[in-house]
Amino acid sequence: MKSEFDLELLKEYLEGDAAAEQELFARYDRDVRVPAELWAGVEQRIAPVRAASVGWWLRVAAGLVLVIGLGSVFLLSQKDETIGALELPERRPTVIESKQALVKPGKRFLRIKKKPITTDNPGVISSDSGYLDIDEQDTAQHIERTENLLRSIRNFPMSETDDEIDVTYDKALSRRLLIENVVLRRDAEMKAKFPTKTLLADLEPLLIDIANLPDHAKPEELRAIKERVQKTEIVAALIDFQDRGPNNR
Amino acid sequence: MSALAGTLMNSSADLVTRVCQGDSDAFRLIFERYSRPVISFIYDMVGDRALAEELTQETFVRAFRAIHTMRAETKLSTWLFGIARNVARESLRARARAASHVDLADRSVMDLSDKRPVPVDGVLSKELNDVIRRSLAQLDEDKRLVFTLKVLHQCSYEEIAEITGFSLAKLKTDLHRARVEMRRRIGSYAGVGYEV
Repeated sequence: MKSEFDLELLKEYLEGDAAAEQELFARYDRDVRVPAELWAGVEQRIAPVRAASVGWWLRVAAGLVLVIGLGSVFLLSQKDETIGALELPERRPTVIESKQALVKPGKRFLRIKKKPITTDNPGVISSDSGYLDIDEQDTAQHIERTENLLRSIRNFPMSETDDEIDVTYDKALSRRLLIENVVLRRDAEMKAKFPTKTLLADLEPLLIDIANLPDHAKPEELRAIKERVQKTEIVAALIDFQDRGPNNR
Repeated sequence: MSALAGTLMNSSADLVTRVCQGDSDAFRLIFERYSRPVISFIYDMVGDRALAEELTQETFVRAFRAIHTMRAETKLSTWLFGIARNVARESLRARARAASHVDLADRSVMDLSDKRPVPVDGVLSKELNDVIRRSLAQLDEDKRLVFTLKVLHQCSYEEIAEITGFSLAKLKTDLHRARVEMRRRIGSYAGVGYEV
């Protein structure tokens, strides 16, 4: 049951009144309170961090002691005084004679013995990209290319003296990636690959903005994009996505 | 009197500096000052009270661990909302859309009438609160985020852009669409006969 007051406010809101909207939502009561035990939980969880910071100071102190000790050893050794000797076992490289060595006696080749590559779980056929389906390969390649583009923008060195920056290549690449992104996002949505879809949806506004830069962008325009790349930590999200493997996407 | 009394007038920047210097009381003050807006914001995003509490805890733990990386020019509230947004988002993704959505045709939505006495003026009826909450939950994630920050938390466009990383154009578009959807849904749910 609604009060007359609510109804009046609601009518004004539905008619598009901005003040009514402000009032309506200002009165919106979520009935959320901060329970006392919430801080206790936070305090408990940050305690190890504090302890770790004490541990950090201890490590710094230990490092200083070590540096002083090594410095002393160095100074003493300058005076030709032997403090101690340490005998290390002699290591002999594995020498394998190759066919060439047989043809040309006198020449010998060192060959590094490689361990055979084994998988962690022999029951798993392979996690090689060759075994991914075509869509997943496309997505993986797309994510990698986009990561490279965003990295190059994020790491672009900017100086105060730059009047404009040539971003012609990045723009063109971004346009291509944008088209690809739209197709892959729709595909992921249709196949219910929601984490992939969400990641691609997050990429889209950035790609649009890069694609819409003028060929010679002003430093502040590029800086705004750089900052967004940094703040949204999208590069980290892309790396994480690639590390996760196809079964967890 | 609380041990923290007398320090409540500290600016956020002072509190951050003190936390970086190892003053844990300062972090407690930050928690007391910002926990309510943060928990409300997270609740608006996830729509679940217990989960909102859990995610608020996670937000402040992350904030404590990363506070030394906060840039001097960043507002503490904006920075905390940014962390809260990431935490809420991760949680929403982890739920993998398994949570059941309330449909417009859902009987539980249509049978919202409450026979109890009308609450005192100045507080919206429980019914309307529920309607707002449900309507909010049905917005897609980006729109809900922008709408929550702008309308419920009165953030400026610049602050929202900083929290979300969205461009101004996207923010404004999302906000406009969210407003239209909210009006349509609230009008429809509340059954007052106003369609937008």
